[in-house]
Amino acid sequence: MDYLLHLAILICIYTILSQSLSLVAGYSGQISLAHAGFYGIGAYTTALLSVNFETPVLLNLFAALVLSGLAAFVVAKVAVKTIDDYYIIITLGIQVVIYSIMNNWQNVTHGPLGIPGIPSFTVFGFAFENKLSFLLLSALFAGLVWFILYRLSSSPFGRVLRALSEDEVYAKSLGKNVQNAKISSFVISGMLASIAGVLYAHYISYIDPTSFTVDESIFILSIVIIGGMRNLKGIFFAAAFLVLLPEALRFVGMPSSIAANMRQIFYGLALIIVVFRMGKPNSKKISFFKRKIS
Amino acid sequence: MQIVFNIFITFGCYSLIGYSLFILYSILRFFHLAHAISLTSGAYITYFIAIQQGLGLWLAVPISVVTGILLMIVVNQWIYKPLQSRKVESWQMLIASLGLYVVLQNVVSMLWGDSTLSFRTWGVKVGYEFMGAYITGVQVITIISCVGLSVLSRVFLEKTNIGQQIKAVSSNPELSGIFGISKSKAVVWSFVLGTGLVVCAGILIAADTDMTPTMGFNWLLYAVVAMIIGGMGRMSYLLLGSLLLATAQHLSAYYLDSKWMNAIAYIILIAFLYFRPYGFSGKRIKKAEI
Repeated sequence: MDYLLHLAILICIYTILSQSLSLVAGYSGQISLAHAGFYGIGAYTTALLSVNFETPVLLNLFAALVLSGLAAFVVAKVAVKTIDDYYIIITLGIQVVIYSIMNNWQNVTHGPLGIPGIPSFTVFGFAFENKLSFLLLSALFAGLVWFILYRLSSSPFGRVLRALSEDEVYAKSLGKNVQNAKISSFVISGMLASIAGVLYAHYISYIDPTSFTVDESIFILSIVIIGGMRNLKGIFFAAAFLVLLPEALRFVGMPSSIAANMRQIFYGLALIIVVFRMGKPNSKKISFFKRKIS
Repeated sequence: MQIVFNIFITFGCYSLIGYSLFILYSILRFFHLAHAISLTSGAYITYFIAIQQGLGLWLAVPISVVTGILLMIVVNQWIYKPLQSRKVESWQMLIASLGLYVVLQNVVSMLWGDSTLSFRTWGVKVGYEFMGAYITGVQVITIISCVGLSVLSRVFLEKTNIGQQIKAVSSNPELSGIFGISKSKAVVWSFVLGTGLVVCAGILIAADTDMTPTMGFNWLLYAVVAMIIGGMGRMSYLLLGSLLLATAQHLSAYYLDSKWMNAIAYIILIAFLYFRPYGFSGKRIKKAEI
């Protein structure tokens, strides 16, 4: 039972991550591979603050939001100058830089040793120690993020984003500030990703840089692409599916050494297939799951 | 003096990989990230034949070059061509080739395991002393073959009929189609050339520093960085880009610490894309600053 709760918590965390990425990748059409970096910034901020200064968690959450927002602002300022495949390469570069800061700035982050002993999530004296309560907490956050993204995407701002992802020059000619929209969507997405980082750090109570690598970014991106770039519900199902997949493979009786590779092979194949379906001429369907055409 | 040699060796590898990627990029119009797997598989097939089958290195190298080329031609015919015929955009092709890389890299690590392997049968020697620096035999071979292969492939592109066709298709696909140059034939030949070069680079790198299933991606990304800061222009700009990258990395390893080499490469890339989005060549491409 505990194990099922653990999987459900992971699904919540990945849903937050991939839905926040969908605001950038799906709505404003910038495929970012730096998302695990912001996830990591959130996790490291709360871990360092609560281990070194024993600050309350809500303050840490706020600090993580501000810090990752600032980082995302700087990144967006740089990355907004490029488009398409250059954008992917530059965000990949930023991800590697963030990772190597986590890995090499040993005075602060303890490098590859990581930060152990992060206290559990405590709000007004109530500690979310057992898994059921933590699941409720992360489900609350996931629901909140989902709600924010849903409202954002149907707001005028969301429509600007959708317009610029379809045709940037045209959106500009209508007097929309394309650069600002891109930057602010990136900042919002980075801030939301740091929430997932805070949850992860307090849940696992130990973090190290290997949780925030380029592979993690690729994994989050493939959740978004498989679920459908702008389909929040589809992304939720894709996150659940890809988190549960290795367990399913283990259930079939595959040894765990091969199961890890098989999982990666599976999502690699899924990426190719989804791109294949994206390219179909005159087709509106871009996901495995049914999508409302809005 | 030692550092100059190290810079030259790294520079040779970057420019070889970068050049092979550049040939493919200019004709395919997207970053062929699965190129990394040609590098890795070259090293692993050499290991398979030379060590596991015990057939010797001289037989292993040509076989792995041929196998790598065949693999990439199959990939091109069955994956890239159907995708491109569906008018997939360049970033989507990048995602597809990333997926392909993930699949093939995991196949490699399933077949040979994740640990570091080496096909070095010779002992590690101190190397030759040359002007106050130590250089091993493998590194001499690396430098010589990097220069030789670059020159050969350049001659191939400039002097032969097929090379001219590749250049024609990369500079203007529609017009060369009108003149009766087959695009798919040119693409296949550029795959032969590019993959052949990168397999050789992979074998040389593996002979020098051993191999892991994920080694290809790092080297490929450095080559991409060199290509972008060189600015997609001509061969000479690519060389300038890889020289700058190799120099900066080795100097940072010397003055700071070797663990920052990775970050330095990308900081250079970010700085270049921010201040000079067109690289050294200044050639305008519709990828930066709308």
